[in-house]
Amino acid sequence: MEFTREIYWNVGHGFTTLAPMYGLLLVAVAIFVLGCLKRIKVYRLGQPLERTDQLGKRIKNLLDNVCLQTKVFRVPGAGTAHALFFWSFFILFIGTTLIVAQADFTDLLFGVKFLKGTFYKLFSVILDLAGLLSIAMLSGLLVRRYLIRPEGLLTKCDDALMHGLLFAILITGFLIEGARIAVTEMDKPLLAAWSPVGLVVANILSGLGEAGLRTLHTGLWWFHLLLALVFIAVIPFTKFRHILTTSANSFLADLGPTGKLTTVNLEDETTERFGASELTDLRWKDIFDADACTLCKRCQDRCPAFATGKPLSPMLLVNQIGETAFNNPKANLIDTIGREAIWACTTCRACQDICPASIEHVDKIINLRRNLVLMEGEFPGEEVMTAMEQAEVNGNPLGMGYASRGDWAETLGIKSLAEDSDVDVLYFVGCYASFDKRNIAVAKSFITLCQAAGVKVGILGKEEKCCGEPMRKMGNEYLYQTLAMETIETIKGYGVKKIVTTCPHCFNTLAKDYQDFDFAIEVEPHPVFLDRLISDGKLQIKTDTFSCTYHDSCYLGRHNDLYDAPRNLIRAAGGQLTEMAKTRDQAFCCSAGGGRIMAEESIGERINIKRVQMAAATGAGQLLSNCPFCLTMFEDGVKGADVEAQLRPKDIAEILAERL
Amino acid sequence: MNILICIKQVPDMESKFKINAEKNWYDRTDLAWRMNEYDEYAVEQAVRLKEQVGAADLTVLCIGPDQVKETMKKALAMGCDRGVHIADNDAHKREPLEIASMIAGFAKDKNFDIVFTGMQSQDRGSAQVGVMIAELLAIPAVTTIVDFAFDNGAIHVKRELEGGGRALVKATTPVVLTCQLGLNTPRYPTLPNIMKAKKKELLTLAVPDMGGIGACQETAAFYFPERKGSGLVLEGELPDMAEKLIHLLKEKTGVLA
Amino acid sequence: MKTLLVAEFREGKLRVKYSQLIAFAKELQTTTSMFLVGSPSELPQFNGTLYLADVAKYGEYNPTVHKQLLLDVIAKEQPDRIVFHHSSYGWDLAPRIAVALKAAQISEVVAIEDGVPVVPVCNAKLRRKIKSKTAQTILTLQAGAFGMEEDPIGTPTVVPIDTDVTGKVDCSGYEAAKLEGVDLTKSEIIVSAGRGVGKPENIAMVQALAKALGGEYGASRPVVDAGWVDHNRQVGTTGRTVTPKLYVACGISGAIQHLAGMKKSEFIVAINTDKDAPIGEVADVFVVADLKQFLPVLTEKLLAR
Repeated sequence: MEFTREIYWNVGHGFTTLAPMYGLLLVAVAIFVLGCLKRIKVYRLGQPLERTDQLGKRIKNLLDNVCLQTKVFRVPGAGTAHALFFWSFFILFIGTTLIVAQADFTDLLFGVKFLKGTFYKLFSVILDLAGLLSIAMLSGLLVRRYLIRPEGLLTKCDDALMHGLLFAILITGFLIEGARIAVTEMDKPLLAAWSPVGLVVANILSGLGEAGLRTLHTGLWWFHLLLALVFIAVIPFTKFRHILTTSANSFLADLGPTGKLTTVNLEDETTERFGASELTDLRWKDIFDADACTLCKRCQDRCPAFATGKPLSPMLLVNQIGETAFNNPKANLIDTIGREAIWACTTCRACQDICPASIEHVDKIINLRRNLVLMEGEFPGEEVMTAMEQAEVNGNPLGMGYASRGDWAETLGIKSLAEDSDVDVLYFVGCYASFDKRNIAVAKSFITLCQAAGVKVGILGKEEKCCGEPMRKMGNEYLYQTLAMETIETIKGYGVKKIVTTCPHCFNTLAKDYQDFDFAIEVEPHPVFLDRLISDGKLQIKTDTFSCTYHDSCYLGRHNDLYDAPRNLIRAAGGQLTEMAKTRDQAFCCSAGGGRIMAEESIGERINIKRVQMAAATGAGQLLSNCPFCLTMFEDGVKGADVEAQLRPKDIAEILAERL
Repeated sequence: MNILICIKQVPDMESKFKINAEKNWYDRTDLAWRMNEYDEYAVEQAVRLKEQVGAADLTVLCIGPDQVKETMKKALAMGCDRGVHIADNDAHKREPLEIASMIAGFAKDKNFDIVFTGMQSQDRGSAQVGVMIAELLAIPAVTTIVDFAFDNGAIHVKRELEGGGRALVKATTPVVLTCQLGLNTPRYPTLPNIMKAKKKELLTLAVPDMGGIGACQETAAFYFPERKGSGLVLEGELPDMAEKLIHLLKEKTGVLA
Repeated sequence: MKTLLVAEFREGKLRVKYSQLIAFAKELQTTTSMFLVGSPSELPQFNGTLYLADVAKYGEYNPTVHKQLLLDVIAKEQPDRIVFHHSSYGWDLAPRIAVALKAAQISEVVAIEDGVPVVPVCNAKLRRKIKSKTAQTILTLQAGAFGMEEDPIGTPTVVPIDTDVTGKVDCSGYEAAKLEGVDLTKSEIIVSAGRGVGKPENIAMVQALAKALGGEYGASRPVVDAGWVDHNRQVGTTGRTVTPKLYVACGISGAIQHLAGMKKSEFIVAINTDKDAPIGEVADVFVVADLKQFLPVLTEKLLAR
């Protein structure tokens, strides 16, 4: 028996089928192309941006994200359903393509048929199962969206259209198959067995009789074609466009060091606009990002500002840009998005990290902030303006006299580079560890550890200035560059070969942002540095058991994928670590990033208190972290959350120093 | 309108001060420098006035060594049109009357409608220069303003008085106004203005003719004050300090039973 | 040595702190006369010559008029020293006299040591002794720096003075300070918040301590300027001058204007992370701590007693 089927059975092979079919296809494609061109025109309103470097890596990302659905899978449940739906629908698409290839080309022109035999059997059963899986997954997604209605999920007419169209295509597909099998294969059970789902449908339809089945078949075949062509045509006009845009975004993603911002050329005296307040200030990618967004809300779900009542939703922000671009391009972006939303971001990157569409949320916010600060001299509050002015006058946002910056180290037996520049490593202390009493304790612990390991460490002392990070994240690119260039000059002047930091913000700035100023000195954050000292045997730590939980700071965690070194240290010290629910890449920000360490939090719940409550819920006795901002926020938070007695915030360096 | 704003570069008051070698002033090393806080309000008010009337020219003047130009650039970035730097490395040795004479010497033929300046400097704090400029130029002066309004040539200001009340004062140009803290909120310079400031005229002049004024005071001593009272310092653990403090309050005052 | 004291009269009232001028003169042991643009019905109490211009004729403070009246008196009296309060009147009028006489002016005198005036500089972190080189010297006295134990007594010999001069600056009236609510000058215990509180939320812990001690809370100028505390709770020269039994300064560095408003308190406690803060000069006890950490601990212990 022949394992095959007649393509175009009942519908007709000739001109009367092919001509309208291809004619309509042409129309659908034309609409599709025009739709795409229209959208491309709007993307081009934005500033140019090169995203074609490192082609190999970009293609790999594209394949990973599209074919393997890597990022989609990061959130199971809806993620798995989407991946399965995508694969099965893609299989159906391949199936249709193979049919077209044979029917309209290889068979028509050369008389070659390949949909037969074993190949056809596999083809048939795979497609049937794929179709079933598609319907099952689509149903699941439908239930989620319309019955379960997860909080924060935006549902629009678009979604109804998409569900409707896809269901219709899938169901008509099975009906067509069922009708055909009911007429042609009921007497060939061995063949029909390879279309198991189709066979079930055929049995249901068999009561119609051959004439009825043929009419049904013809009607549904043309209807199914129409639906498929409508699907093609509406891609640019609906969320279906994400098939192209979201995939493209994997290719176009920011490959730069994570968290590194674009350096604005301030030397160019012809530049009159800084930052973004109008659509045309944004890069084309920022407009494109809105089209790549499928409103999946994974970013919103993880945003610490959104979770505590601030008017910031990363998802909404991205889409407001899209809406402005396509409906109201002259609108002022800052008024549209709102100042409170713009200032609320802590640059924790939870949004950007989880986004399956590779959207760049943080850059947009920084750009808007740059406009507010550099063009309007506006800040989230007077306390931030004051902090900026202190940084200009004294090189630190705390307003402490710069000359006493190295005083904390007076009795420790270490020298400033000015006194002795022959050191193994420069410890870049940072503003908080230099001046804030609580964080000075961490700096002292770190020095003690270095000395115990026989590392000769030096500091810049009063020559050290703020690295400029909080200012940069607040949008003050000018002050950041001023501080950066001074810091770089000082460090280079001493011929420093290696730098260690106890502040992840300093670490990221020196290691990544400073690259734009020709700074290529090796920088290491203290957990990595200490971990190596221990594994090299240079530093011995007693294991003294204690219960703790650990907070992955945003700037070592999501910004550097640095999750293991600190845990090694905790283990070495004897820590019984109980992880919080939101840990590692899912860690919940302490609230002080994005320059917000300088600002007051006046809207909604306190983010730091929320995080401390998560830590307290583990029942651990100590809350360990690796960042001076986190430590400061947690000291404040344990008081606010009233858990001071049972939860002690500490830095990892302190735990180790206690165990020498 | 032709407006003069007189500013001074002073050390940041958070700095750790040291006595200089001559023992008559603070040592200028290891200090962070900034615009005298009172003068910031003066600059801001002048810029706001210009925004209001449109046709106004703002000259910012500062006396001192070369480094004061940094502070002048901030004033230019806030909105002043031009700067006049009177180069004087001994500025810190001058007395108020000498400083005022220098400024009056510069201003006397320039027909300034308003002279804005801070009511005192954060370092010397003599609160004399502003009024003295007015006297030397034979024009009126109103001091300690916490409110300013300009209405068709008439100037309405409010002077801050002890106890928090205010005096409502009316004046006409030319006039010297000395500014008190809280007069306005000084703006943060925008980047385009910072860049424009780099191109604005900043003349350096030699010390002008002071009309025969010389030094009429001298510093007999300059020192850190001794602590008065029992001056007991408590340091250490918070609970211990709290206990000790409560004990002292019980012992030395009648406030705790 | 002759000293001419310049007293103040405003809004229909004699400013009673003229007693500080007299106390100062006493310390110098000189003969004193006094100048006042005021009212014959409210004379300062002292034994000496009072050159009085009637405020009914001259209205509110007009610098040109006052300057001329005063210069006329100086020409007549030939004092060696002319002493003002360092006040909104004094620092306005004194420099005009200094220029007219080409005399040295020494502002904000806080003490006399060996006959030499001492003034604060750099936010009261340092002191300077200034010697005048001119025959006549003008001095302005810091509010509260000099004072008398008892109230001044005496009856002045009034010499009326006059001038025809007019001035272009017109004082058209006064705006009262918004002083509803608490009157700190009546409080026996005051706990004040300074810049060190950092955020408005932390005012609550200052209030809590005040309550635990059974007193009122106040603030330094920057805190009031920022809008975190009402102006009627401001302690300092432009706020209230207070003399409570206990004054606790939290996160207050001790700028002169604030010190002037509270340094006569009976017992002063300072809580500050900066050991060198000028508040230390007047503090009986200086707690080196971050108020945000110390205040809750202290308040808890007080409540537990």
